[in-house]
Amino acid sequence: MVVKNVVCPVCGGSCEDIQVELKDNSITVKNACKMGNGKFQEVVSEHRIKDPMIKKDGKFVKVSWEEALDKAAEILANSRRPLLFMGSETSCEAQEVGLHMGEYLGGVVDSNATICHGPTCMGIQEAGLPTSTCGVAINRSDLNIYWGTNPLASMPRHMSKYGLFPRGYWTKRGRFDRKVITVDPRKTDTAVASDLHIQLQPNSDYELLNALLTILNGKTPHHSVEQVTGIAISVMEEMVDMMLEAKFGSINVGLGAGSSFGKHRNIEMALNLVKELNNNHGTKFRIGALRGHCNVAGFNQIATYLYGYPFALDFARGYARYNPGETSCVDLLREKDVDAALVLGADLVGHTPADSAKYLCQIPMVCIDIAPGPTPSGADVLLPGVIDAFECDGTFYRLDNVPVYFEPFTDSPFDFTKSNEDTMKQLFAKVKELKEKA
Amino acid sequence: MKFLLNTGSTIDEGRLAKGGNKYSEEYKKECAVCWISPEDFDLLGCPEKVKVTSTDGRYSIVVNTKCTDRVMCGNIFMPRAIWSNVVVNPWTFSTGSPLYKGSPVTVEPSDDEVLDAEDVVLKLYYGGE
Amino acid sequence: MAEVKLTPNKEIDLKVEADVITPDEFAGKGKSEIEQLLVWQGPSQYPLSDFFDVEGEGGSSAEDTTIVINGDVSRVKLIGAKMTAGKIIVKGSTGMHVGSQMAGGEIVVEGDADSWPGMEMTGGVLHIKGNAGDHVGSAYRGSWHGMKGGRLIIDGNARSQIGGGMTGGEIIIGGSIENFCGIRQTGGLIVVKGNAIRAVGAEMSGGTIVIGGNIQKFTPGMQNEGEESDLEFEDIKCSGTFKKFRGDFAIAKNPKGIVYAGKETNPDL
Repeated sequence: MVVKNVVCPVCGGSCEDIQVELKDNSITVKNACKMGNGKFQEVVSEHRIKDPMIKKDGKFVKVSWEEALDKAAEILANSRRPLLFMGSETSCEAQEVGLHMGEYLGGVVDSNATICHGPTCMGIQEAGLPTSTCGVAINRSDLNIYWGTNPLASMPRHMSKYGLFPRGYWTKRGRFDRKVITVDPRKTDTAVASDLHIQLQPNSDYELLNALLTILNGKTPHHSVEQVTGIAISVMEEMVDMMLEAKFGSINVGLGAGSSFGKHRNIEMALNLVKELNNNHGTKFRIGALRGHCNVAGFNQIATYLYGYPFALDFARGYARYNPGETSCVDLLREKDVDAALVLGADLVGHTPADSAKYLCQIPMVCIDIAPGPTPSGADVLLPGVIDAFECDGTFYRLDNVPVYFEPFTDSPFDFTKSNEDTMKQLFAKVKELKEKA
Repeated sequence: MKFLLNTGSTIDEGRLAKGGNKYSEEYKKECAVCWISPEDFDLLGCPEKVKVTSTDGRYSIVVNTKCTDRVMCGNIFMPRAIWSNVVVNPWTFSTGSPLYKGSPVTVEPSDDEVLDAEDVVLKLYYGGE
Repeated sequence: MAEVKLTPNKEIDLKVEADVITPDEFAGKGKSEIEQLLVWQGPSQYPLSDFFDVEGEGGSSAEDTTIVINGDVSRVKLIGAKMTAGKIIVKGSTGMHVGSQMAGGEIVVEGDADSWPGMEMTGGVLHIKGNAGDHVGSAYRGSWHGMKGGRLIIDGNARSQIGGGMTGGEIIIGGSIENFCGIRQTGGLIVVKGNAIRAVGAEMSGGTIVIGGNIQKFTPGMQNEGEESDLEFEDIKCSGTFKKFRGDFAIAKNPKGIVYAGKETNPDL
């Protein structure tokens, strides 16, 4: 049977127009990109993690669900300072249980934003977020700026769905009504498809943004900026002119801005640029982050409305405290300031620097995941994950912070858990039981 | 030679990672790779494999090379994956986010073996235990 | 003056938060009362004596109390936080947040200090003889106001975001610094004897920064205003000739922030 309007759980685009036809051992997928299709094939893949496992003498041994869950609960309940990492490849509902468990245990709860757009969240705290949903950009934007991002690789349908090609109310001719500027040190496919490619030196985004604002304020930037950024001031002026000529501009920032030297200051300056354009120059702009991971925006949303901070929440004193660099995952692991971890739907061992990954492998770690990879390899207890949007319902937040409710097209393959939310709830109940006994 | 390391997605990295194929040969072929500009590639002596070493010299990783004009002189690019993250600078400037883009690294030709993703975990992170 | 000596008595694994180590808390307390003061490790609280051997007792007031920490406390955070008077001498390195929000008195750290020393401090003297991390004398996340008063002296190097949002007081750094020194500064003085990497005085609209050494990547929104020699700011003197800049014009139409950069060390500016 063909199921329509399935939500894709891969990147922040949360495409909601996927069609699937599931047969016994195969799945046919329409409308999804290469990445999306890759994940849809997981439903029928050979390598799916199907059994709960515990590492004994360095080797994984299949055990019953109860035994694995008991062991996982024991690790968390005995920890003096656990790190709960609520990855992005799962629903807000599952992440929410993790936040409550972190509060109960006095641990630290973090999510993918910490190794992704965390600096963007911090920049927003410094400068505010002049933004809109992607729908507004579709209907209005006649200038699209991709800053430090290559959506053709990280969010393949961004250009066709939101950025470049869609025909909107005031952009009836689609691509022909839009100009594109790409700011990237690398000549990416996105850069090649743009009207203007600003090939700046790595780690000079802040200087470029600062110079653009200086030009907007009627001054000439200090001459050293040409050498620092590798961009001529005349080209910066051309870029400012393109921005001023636009009726409505849409800036999409990626990790090139948020993860290079400068971090949240780069983002803060980009936000200031948008505010200045909106306030004093007769044009309108929006800015949004290209959230590469599925529900990475969701954790920021729910953590903020539940506890006041978007990520890196430290519950040691019973209430949430927030200080990236001190209470954030990579720093806590590098500084050996936690003694156990729960990782849900994220590959922390594969995607944190060596010092952090190494320590994570040394401490007791519970991992909930669907396929083999570095983090499952480093775990002490491995619980099979359920694939959100395929096998259970729930909520994701799209890249522009719009919540998207998703429904499954098949069931959880396990009789012991219906969803990651279910697994987290069962685990939390066991943890409470152990704590109250002690 | 000193370079600035840029890491990021490639479409096939995404396809394989999201498809749960992180331990496949194909993933290793796509991700255990260092993109080098033609000028720098010549200067290094057109090596098949290079050893990339972290800023503080404590970690290194051997990967295959790809000569391409997509990167500028003085920069290298590696798809985001366990190989690149071994040498990413773990300092976060008090932001929680390590320097995935723009870490200073050293690159030299190498004849050593390119490790599988699983071996990176076992050999580097577990010290062969 | 009464002196309390704290000697670390074990290796600390998970970091400890000891905001009770201040002359204000110790004043009027005997040895056993000080030993029973509670510190945090993760979500648990333990008596101070679990981590330190205590000798001596507090004076009659904070002014009368000196605390000497005899060893390395680089995994102990918040030493001297919110103190108003008295003195703390650390004969080693400290963890994060030393002298955070301090209002008076004196702290001397003979080793290094981790990030956030003197965050939003309003008075007193914080002297670090080694190096310091990020956010020296800066504002907390999202706050617009950093250090408001007092003096912060670092003999070695410091890293990024020094004096972020600073509105008053002085920061004097003997060594070199990295990025975003004086970001969003609106008042006060920062003097750096060594070099800076980038974005000195970025987004500043008031206050003064002096960089004696070389600035690798200069802030584009700065506008040249000639040269000045042998600067004097009350008791702080900076000899030599400096190029003078006003900014940051990226953030304001008429900013009043001033950056002085050594003339000989910055031929390209």
